Amino acid sequence: MTAVWSAAWAAVRRRMLQTIVIGVVVCASTATLVMALGLLESAAAPFDRAFATQRGAHLTAAFDPAKVSEDQLRSGQTESAGPFLQSTLDTSTGEVFMGTLTVAGRADPGGSVDRLSVWRGRWATAPGEIVLNRVPGGEGRTDVGFEITAAGRPKLTVVGFAHSVTGSADAWVTPDQVKALQPTALQMLYRFQKAATAAEVAEGQQTVTAGLPEGALLGTLSHLTVRDKATSELGVFIPFLMIFGVLGLVVAVLIVANVVSGAVVAGFRHIGVLKALGFTPGQVMAVYLVMVSIPAVAGCVLGTVAGNVFAKPVVQDAVEGFGVTELSFAPWVNAVALLGMPALVISAALVPALRARGLPAARAISAGITTHTGRALRIQRWLSGTRLPRSVSLGLGVPFARAGRSALTLASVVLGVMTVTLAAGVTMSVAAYDDAVRPSYTDRVEVLAGRPPGMPVMRTPETGEPPAATLSDSDDEKMLRSLPGTNAVMAVSQLETEVAGGTQDAMIFFYRGDTGALGPRVLTGHWPDGPGQVVAPSRFLNQRGLGVGDTITVQAGENRTELKIVGVVLTNNEDQIFADWTALDVLAPGTRAHSYQVRFTPGTDRQTFTAAIAAGDPGLRVLPPRDGSSSTAVILISAATVLTLVLGAVAALGVFNTVVLNARERRRDLGMLKSIGMTPRQVTVMLVTSMGALGVVGGLVGVPVGVVVHQLVVPAMAHAGQADAVDILMNVYHAPALVLLALAGVVIAVLGALVPSRGAARLSIATVLHNE
Amino acid sequence: MNNDAVVQISDLRKEYSDSTALDGVSLTVRAGEAVAVMGPSGSGKSTLLNMIAGLDRPTSGSVVVHGTDLGSLNETGLALFRRRGIGMIFQFFNLLDDLSALDNVALAAQLTGTPAGQARRRALELFGELGIENRKNVYPARLSGGERQRVAVARALMNRPALLLADEPTGALDSRSGEQVMDLLLDLNQIGQTLLLVTHDERLATRCASRVIEVVDGRIEREQSLERTQEKAL
Repeated sequence: MTAVWSAAWAAVRRRMLQTIVIGVVVCASTATLVMALGLLESAAAPFDRAFATQRGAHLTAAFDPAKVSEDQLRSGQTESAGPFLQSTLDTSTGEVFMGTLTVAGRADPGGSVDRLSVWRGRWATAPGEIVLNRVPGGEGRTDVGFEITAAGRPKLTVVGFAHSVTGSADAWVTPDQVKALQPTALQMLYRFQKAATAAEVAEGQQTVTAGLPEGALLGTLSHLTVRDKATSELGVFIPFLMIFGVLGLVVAVLIVANVVSGAVVAGFRHIGVLKALGFTPGQVMAVYLVMVSIPAVAGCVLGTVAGNVFAKPVVQDAVEGFGVTELSFAPWVNAVALLGMPALVISAALVPALRARGLPAARAISAGITTHTGRALRIQRWLSGTRLPRSVSLGLGVPFARAGRSALTLASVVLGVMTVTLAAGVTMSVAAYDDAVRPSYTDRVEVLAGRPPGMPVMRTPETGEPPAATLSDSDDEKMLRSLPGTNAVMAVSQLETEVAGGTQDAMIFFYRGDTGALGPRVLTGHWPDGPGQVVAPSRFLNQRGLGVGDTITVQAGENRTELKIVGVVLTNNEDQIFADWTALDVLAPGTRAHSYQVRFTPGTDRQTFTAAIAAGDPGLRVLPPRDGSSSTAVILISAATVLTLVLGAVAALGVFNTVVLNARERRRDLGMLKSIGMTPRQVTVMLVTSMGALGVVGGLVGVPVGVVVHQLVVPAMAHAGQADAVDILMNVYHAPALVLLALAGVVIAVLGALVPSRGAARLSIATVLHNE
Repeated sequence: MNNDAVVQISDLRKEYSDSTALDGVSLTVRAGEAVAVMGPSGSGKSTLLNMIAGLDRPTSGSVVVHGTDLGSLNETGLALFRRRGIGMIFQFFNLLDDLSALDNVALAAQLTGTPAGQARRRALELFGELGIENRKNVYPARLSGGERQRVAVARALMNRPALLLADEPTGALDSRSGEQVMDLLLDLNQIGQTLLLVTHDERLATRCASRVIEVVDGRIEREQSLERTQEKAL
């Protein structure tokens, strides 16, 4: 063992608490860094990662089995899966309307292309079994054991749920079973050598279809199309995750710099002693760097492991919407953490270590004596004359004694408060948006009256009976309005229409009655107040390049009409627009309301009200109250909470370290203060106050910074989600909330300071003073 | 307990994991006495001082100072006891570097809740009495050793303690400064201040103390009244 190693190891053992602090902070910082980089990396291309994990298909192609044989499709050199016979199931007559399902016959979920992840139940292995395509963890009205019925087709029992990131099919059955479902196409899934651009995909398509009979190809779906849709959904996460990642990195850098600089200052005396013993300047510097590197490397390794363990569930939550069930960070994430953090620590230690290297031994030995600036002394003198309790005024002066250390600590508190403010703001924005677009309707009931035109029979989940109003539309409305407790009534019908010039159909909801009270919130413009008017959500307008004042032409069956966009409403579905009832009279004359929304006055018993509706018209069905939460909102709020706790804890550790360093440097002062009668509580108050003051400043600075960042991040999130940054997203900070958020600085500072302050309060005076 | 006893120690023991610092020490210090505790390094004299100041707790035995059994006090109680009951002077002064000399002294009173202005006035009185009033706004780093120890003495006297404890008060001073501090302690004792000092310095002991106790290996080996010695010195 070399002298350098012996000296370094002895220093580590002698400064065990400091060593532990460095180790813990580096560990937490590294974990945050891994988490941040993991999030950044995952946020950068989650679809690509999910796509790569599943080896998704660059091109999903449907061929006409009448024109091309399976052998012809198999003969190509391109990596592919299939052919799978493909059928469609119309579920409009079933118990649960699931639209038209594209069903493929696949023997197993694996293969070289489009490896499906079966996340619930099992794969279909026998006739009569079906596996549905659903995002892992997703909820629906069907579960394992549910029977799907379609006119003229055998019953199929759901045995599992799988997910295809490229959406190659809505459901899968065995190859034998699909033959009984009257297949209409052969599905091929291709992966090309180059498929990064539309031209490359087209080139690949040309290659695989070359030589096939004309008309054999029925249709294709490029992974780029799927990617565009998927990334627009994930886009909401990207600004949010990126800002947290950057925050984590900055907090980590600040704390490491603070810890190591403090450790270097505290180690000057030790270095002086080594020089006096005959260590060369280079050896002294090596001792010091090794001394700091030991806990740094240990903390870094543990932090990398912890970061992987704890961050993955968060990242997993964020990306599992894309079907990624087994996530692993790219190697560079761990490599950057394992190499970067020690490099950062050593860099932070190097400058003061070089200073120590050049110090004459005598000066180094005496470097532990505090030399405070004139400003710090003036402040301390002013504080001593105030009416504050002496323990408080002494504490308030402490930060000025080590201005650099205090500045670093303050910066980490500011970032901690900023993180809390931002996370709280994002949470409030998400909750407000979620509540606006998916209200839980605690003050109203939704009543089904019948089937909308062209839509399947709807059954209420509780009774399973389809609604069939016995009264006429107008009589039902009158009856509902006459019920005791009724506050407002709105009749609803809907119609699926084609929007001329658009690529997607639109569902128009027609409202009648108290639309101001019960309809979607109008953000700009006004609610339709006459025939030929419509309001639409931002996403509908943004996706089609439309705005208020524009006119769209919609067609339902044989009827066509022009509708002028007169307002923007706050709803989340890009395919739904809203019109006045008079427009329905043009597109589908004589259509009755298929549902009603009835708001009751506060204090009305829901059950009694529901019973009164049933008594008024036994054919009406009251839906159970909606669950207002969305999975995206839950993921965002969960991620914000976890990241806030981690970054808040890291900021508190920065404070912890500062108090440890301050207490260590002031051992003699603390011993003296106790010897002249300062109680342990007063010592604690003094040290906690010293950081509490930084916490107050941190809160005052961090909150406005957090608010500003929120005002930048939320519009970016809304823009990425193809929505507008409306007032309910932006105006979430109110005075009481801001006061509470400002207190976060004090909470971080006090929590970080409390333990080391109490430890300092228990310091043995006899030992401290004897050591002098 | 004797009515005029300021300190009464009975069968005091202090054991550490590998050694015994005090081994059955009994001692009484009466009001107005100046007692010097002497002995070789590691004999237990500083431990004895720490026990009397409530800075450390005995393994067994009792320490009663001004009628208060220190064993019955918790940490806060001990702090309050030190605040009001004793003043301490250390070898290395133990002044706060970032407070002026005046604020260092005023601090002791401010801890008891005395307003800053009143505390400073009292501190100024002491500065006058100790002849350092012209150094009141100077920071410790710019004071000489003797001046620092005078500031420390002023701080120790700030709350008019019944007992003044001094641990090697001249140990870090040059001979001239040491003489000045000795004179100061003697003066204080002569006006009735009870004094207990721990020292290696025989000159300090013989000059300031009325009684010398020699501690060896944690036991009181010898106790000697110094009235005659003092007379000789005079």
